[in-house]
Amino acid sequence: MMASSKAAKIFVLVSRVVLGAIFVYAAYIKLRDPWQLFAMSIDSYQVLPLSMAETAARVIPWVELAAGLMLIAGIWLRISGTVVSLLLLTFFGLMVRAYAKGMEISCGCFGPGEVISWKTLLRDGVMVVAALAMTSLAFMNRPKTAA
Amino acid sequence: MKLCALLLAGLLPCLGQTLTADTNKCFGNPMASVRLDVFSDFECPACRAFHTEMLPQIERDYGPTGKIYIVSHEYPLNIPAHKYSREAANYATAAARIGKYDAVADTLFQNQAVWSEMNGCKVDCRRKLWETIAAVLTSAEQKKVQAQATDPAVLAEVQNDVDLGNRLGVNSTPSLFLSHGTQRFALPWPVNYSIFRSMIDSMK
Repeated sequence: MMASSKAAKIFVLVSRVVLGAIFVYAAYIKLRDPWQLFAMSIDSYQVLPLSMAETAARVIPWVELAAGLMLIAGIWLRISGTVVSLLLLTFFGLMVRAYAKGMEISCGCFGPGEVISWKTLLRDGVMVVAALAMTSLAFMNRPKTAA
Repeated sequence: MKLCALLLAGLLPCLGQTLTADTNKCFGNPMASVRLDVFSDFECPACRAFHTEMLPQIERDYGPTGKIYIVSHEYPLNIPAHKYSREAANYATAAARIGKYDAVADTLFQNQAVWSEMNGCKVDCRRKLWETIAAVLTSAEQKKVQAQATDPAVLAEVQNDVDLGNRLGVNSTPSLFLSHGTQRFALPWPVNYSIFRSMIDSMK
């Protein structure tokens, strides 16, 4: 029982640091470049009207940065884990939809230039599973409040 | 370590490849503050869309202002479906040497379905490719283009474009690179023209 609890803690630690670093890096790439590049990537999925794609392009990188830093620091883990899981589920769902429709578009994950393929789907799928598992464990292991 | 290398690479976008240009394949003001490098394949339908829809819009909106310089590069994809891409690129590059690049590129994209097997051509596609090009050239120009299209210097020029694209990480067409000062940005495809304009307009 203790061994599995220790393994869970190690898994949460590794997952949050790795996912946090990935999110910070993804945010950095998007914030370094003009916001229009990410807006073009979002627009190419053809799910949002232009004005919403532009707003999303300005907001999402900051959300990624905040969530990534919180994961790395290990603060508000249940909140940051939930945010990261929801973001990844959304991105993954949109990528699967685009791939299924045969849309040859840039995934927009780490800036332009990476066309959606089974490799990008596999990578994001692994991240979704890790984020969901990490968030579930964070909720299960939350401190019990005294009655 | 890898993350550090990636971050460092991200911090130094200006230390990338130097972009060369065949001045016969350029449009606009060479001293413009913004430069757009386009890597395309004459058999690629998305390249036709860029060439026939977006490129004229850019030329119309920014040609008079002299704000943008557009450079075309050949990137014939090395895939079985694109049988005549390389040959078309050789012809277009040969035509560039007599100042006819735009006319040849326009007709190749506009008549893609006539000569490109993957876009609808059934028989005699190689002959139709040449007839498509010949239709916009005089007989003297046709002779020059046919002779130059097999010239090693022309073949090398096309290959240089492909090599440049490979070094820049081009893996699909069209691939667009927007340069401003020391910065260079790879644009995702498809490009929304309204967002593209907002990006150009924000550049001084």
